[in-house]
Amino acid sequence: MIRKISSYIILSIFIFPIFFLITSSFKNNIDLFALPPKLFFFDIDFSAYERVFGFSNLFKFDPSYSELFLTSRITDSLIIGLGSSSLTLIIGIYAGYYISRVNFKFKRYLIISILSARMMPLVSIAIPIYFVYERINLLDTYIGIILVHTFINLPLAVLLLKSFFDEVPKQIDENAYIDGASKIKILHRLVIPCAKSGMVVTFILSLIFSWTEFICALMIGQMNIKTIPVQASILKTIPSWDMMAAFTTISIIPVFILILMVKKHFVRGLTLGTVKE
Amino acid sequence: MSSQKSYSLPSFMNSDSSLPWLLPLVTMLIVFAIIPFFYNIYLSFHEFVPAKRALLFVGWDNWIRLFTDGVFWGSLKVSLYYTFMCLLIQLVLGMGIALLIDSDDPGFGIIRSILTLTLVIPPAIAGMIFLIMEDANYGLIPWLLKSIGLIGPEDTILSDPTLALWGVMIVDIWQWTPFMVLILVAGLRSLPSEPFESAVIDGARPFQVFRRLTLPMLHKVIAVAVLIRGIDLWRMVDYVFVLTSGGPGTATYTLSLYSWQRFTFVQWGYGATISLFSLIVILIVGNAFIHFAKVKW
Repeated sequence: MIRKISSYIILSIFIFPIFFLITSSFKNNIDLFALPPKLFFFDIDFSAYERVFGFSNLFKFDPSYSELFLTSRITDSLIIGLGSSSLTLIIGIYAGYYISRVNFKFKRYLIISILSARMMPLVSIAIPIYFVYERINLLDTYIGIILVHTFINLPLAVLLLKSFFDEVPKQIDENAYIDGASKIKILHRLVIPCAKSGMVVTFILSLIFSWTEFICALMIGQMNIKTIPVQASILKTIPSWDMMAAFTTISIIPVFILILMVKKHFVRGLTLGTVKE
Repeated sequence: MSSQKSYSLPSFMNSDSSLPWLLPLVTMLIVFAIIPFFYNIYLSFHEFVPAKRALLFVGWDNWIRLFTDGVFWGSLKVSLYYTFMCLLIQLVLGMGIALLIDSDDPGFGIIRSILTLTLVIPPAIAGMIFLIMEDANYGLIPWLLKSIGLIGPEDTILSDPTLALWGVMIVDIWQWTPFMVLILVAGLRSLPSEPFESAVIDGARPFQVFRRLTLPMLHKVIAVAVLIRGIDLWRMVDYVFVLTSGGPGTATYTLSLYSWQRFTFVQWGYGATISLFSLIVILIVGNAFIHFAKVKW
């Protein structure tokens, strides 16, 4: 019993900042700055949401908010997230399957390079890529950020999918091969359906990590493309707490829903497939 | 852990060319890891000269500047301090909480799934939440610390040179301790129960059980958690960017942030030199860790 109570106290400490954020987005400007803070009892006020969505701009042009078309930020983040996680999944499936099934000469070195890619500080990728993109006109384009995010998520995808493919018995492949199926058909018809949850987890985790990635999106998206974390860092310069809170609340709710869908395999994803729950 | 030895399948798998299967992956690795690596080396021997509007060869100048630059040493110290302190605190806290919530009771299952939530908040946005909570005038945390007398009435967190780094670290600790908790709980749940039962029968005290049984059995899980968390702590840039932008002064510059900041000041060569330094450090330390801790993929 004591154990349960103390667990819930610890949980509430970890949940508190999220709770504080969500309630702040509904507070009016007086309650927002109240000290001691009004945590539970305050007047509910939706004006921050109206401004974040740009509804109030329709009636009154206000230059300081013209940058804040939340919907276009969500579109940017969604295009980049869905694009990069699809690409990650496609590349990851073939590479992961091959690494899982075949003992080739440089397998160990390939895995070491994949892990080393995971270690790279993102700034050290972003600076050179900035110059390369400048030459080939990929700066400030969706495809440019999609490719970088795909690279960032590939180590996770390949190693996680490999661990899921490892669980599919190899006899399945062998029997199908004896029956005359081609390698690619075996993967598509037999192995992928067996490892379906692996696909879903990989896709969702890639989507989340693309959604949360900051520094590469900041450097490659210049004027036109701003993902949600980038927009959040810009919001800092417009000190309007209620709007900040409303913006961040809207941007984290979708990932909460996504992660609760795959919570069973979340730990496995975080540890690149090594620790199973 | 994939401990089963992967035996090679009969000829059909090995005979085919590996090219189409691995080509996309290898291409991505070459384009986004190998090329940037060498481009960083190239940049570290060049510098943008505004007067001539061109990158010019400067020899070892950037590297000499690196090792004589006080701000660089300061940011290296901050990066090291940040990485080790956060890792230690998160590991200890995480282990404590993991032992607490390691139970079959469904209530604890709910706790585990709620703890995942902090992990998926974009770090830049987690920074924003704490920016509001640590505000000098209206923030909740300074107010709380003042009312229990831990800091003086005029003190602030994020603009105080000694407290600012802790103001950033608290965000990391808040957001990523659940990472440790979830991994360690998963590790604890997968342990067999017999050794623990017999230890209790033999009259071992709880601390002894933890020291002699739990820790050794968990060492692989702990190694993976430390490795991944360590990598991400070392390359962290989002929190300092949002919360302090390196300030006050240069008190919270990490290597990544300093490199990014030099880049925006059009010192491209020097920025690349700093990021290359940080890259080489993590590649050596990370791969050595994988080797010596025997982490297997």
